[in-house]
Amino acid sequence: MSTQADPAQPAEAAGPVRGRVDQAVVTAPHAATAGPVALTTAGLTLGFGTRTILSDVCVDVRRGAVTALIGPTGSGKTTLLRTFNRMNDRVSGYHRKGDVLLDGRSIWHPGVEVMELRRRIGMLFQRPNPFPMSIMENVVAGARAHRLVGKAGMKDVAEKHLTAVGLWGAVKDRLKDSPFRLSGGQQQLLCLARALAVTPEVLLLDEPTSSLDPAATQAIEELVRTLVPDITVIIVTHNLAQALRVADRTIFLNQGRMVENGETRQLFEHPAEEETAHYVAGRFG
Amino acid sequence: MASAPLARSVGEAVAPSPRRPAPMLRAVVRRADVVRWLGRTGAVIPLAALVFILVVLLIESLPAIRYNGLHFFTTTVWNEGVSYNALPVHSGGVYHMSGAAFGALPEIVGTLLTSLIALIVAVPVSIGAALTIVERLPRRLASLVGIFLELLAGIPSVIVGLFGALTFGPFIAHHITPVIARNVPDVPVLSFFRGQPGSGEGLLTSGLVLGIMIIPIIASTTRDLVRQVPILPREGAIALGMSDAQCARRVTLPWVGPGIVGAVVLGLGRALGETMAVAMTCGVALSTVPGNIYTTMTTIAATMFNYLDTAFLDGTGFAVRTIAELGLVLLVITMVVNIAARWLVRRVSGIALPVGRGV
Repeated sequence: MSTQADPAQPAEAAGPVRGRVDQAVVTAPHAATAGPVALTTAGLTLGFGTRTILSDVCVDVRRGAVTALIGPTGSGKTTLLRTFNRMNDRVSGYHRKGDVLLDGRSIWHPGVEVMELRRRIGMLFQRPNPFPMSIMENVVAGARAHRLVGKAGMKDVAEKHLTAVGLWGAVKDRLKDSPFRLSGGQQQLLCLARALAVTPEVLLLDEPTSSLDPAATQAIEELVRTLVPDITVIIVTHNLAQALRVADRTIFLNQGRMVENGETRQLFEHPAEEETAHYVAGRFG
Repeated sequence: MASAPLARSVGEAVAPSPRRPAPMLRAVVRRADVVRWLGRTGAVIPLAALVFILVVLLIESLPAIRYNGLHFFTTTVWNEGVSYNALPVHSGGVYHMSGAAFGALPEIVGTLLTSLIALIVAVPVSIGAALTIVERLPRRLASLVGIFLELLAGIPSVIVGLFGALTFGPFIAHHITPVIARNVPDVPVLSFFRGQPGSGEGLLTSGLVLGIMIIPIIASTTRDLVRQVPILPREGAIALGMSDAQCARRVTLPWVGPGIVGAVVLGLGRALGETMAVAMTCGVALSTVPGNIYTTMTTIAATMFNYLDTAFLDGTGFAVRTIAELGLVLLVITMVVNIAARWLVRRVSGIALPVGRGV
């Protein structure tokens, strides 16, 4: 399981492709969630080797809202999510057409530094992945790497972000302990605190509760609601009820195509596309 | 005994023949006594062998320990005494040649210094190589490099020694060390790097040759360890905007930290005990503690090897006893290093490392 370091040149592909406007944005502007656009994909086609995972995906992600990415297994949700912080760039055989714009600027623009991009666009994974260091060091690991905090300020930063995720009370007496002694839910909260400590603008959640029990799931979901509107959240989920609970807007992907993008309630109750209706109905039975 | 089920298992239902050796052997094996006893014996052998070697060395070197005393560790003289036209002297319950005096300080210091140099060279190179092989190289090239790494580990030490004595030593003595030796300032620690570069036999050459020899050991073990680090925490570090170097330093290497310490100890054990390559490149200076990094010197192992012939000429056998004592010292040093490393591993893993690291 090694990360392949193939020399994929991201910046040389097509430049910003503009002029495609998301249908749903035009047809269903909802006052509650209609804000400026944080992330845009323009004709994004992407694959590994001979397989094409995403084809011609055009979506807008609203700033300060929670956007859910739903779709059946293999529909490209996670791939799309991992494209936003360029985690796919080094996968072997990676190829891409089209573009992703963060605040109107291509994330593959030569002037964009990938590490700074990943500071601005944080990520939480399917399973908690603490680092092999103490709980406190875990929280500040990213902030230290980006020189946002010195050795002296570590404890304050750790307290601030552990409090923000509601973990401070549970761990304040064991900051020097191993994070691996925490429960799965606590570990995931720790990872969230770690992601928040680098002050991201966008947070990508890749099925963040798929390995957690219902109580921890609820804790994470409630937290996600508190992050907006300061942070733009994109959450991949298999759980349609979860999308309904946490997301302002929902994007439905199927077989690598963006089928529908709209306000969550609208998409679930009055889907514009038949495919969406089938998927949503199928899950609700 | 149970011949009927046996016969059935062999597939001879018509004419069972319990005399045939194979089924009988199988019966014994199936009773598991043989396997159980084989296992037990195997489990005891390492301990028994270690104790046996220690006891034999101790018995062999007892007279030397008694006569040499603690001076053995503090003095530098190496003299088996007058061998011609002289009668053995009896002192302290031990027969030895008159004037015999042995001090192993140069050997002990030499052993530790060469191994230190070897580690300083080998550890960064090995870890860098392991990380590169696992994380950077394409799969095919990585396995090719891995094969060469293991081939390098298999080169006989006499070949490496020859390379060191013929090529490598003279090369650095002519082209590299003179520059350093002349330009290093004469301040406390750095003055160890001043002095006559010599002809290429000595401390630096021996240490570097040892370094070359232990790189494959440390690197291939570390590579296997790094391969086992799960992708998830590494991706977490990358997604947090850490550079590859930060990810390696803060996540990948700590994840397998205890294992890397173990790999380094494995290499150190080899370096401490390596005989042939050092004997060929050290310059064999028996009675001087190295004053600078270029000077000729010797190690415990090299002395035991180089001096054994001469020691047998001592009619009292005392010189050979002293060689045994040297061997005992080397064994103890190696064991102390091992135990210290274990202690270090436990301490490190107790503080920072996860309990269930399997993830």
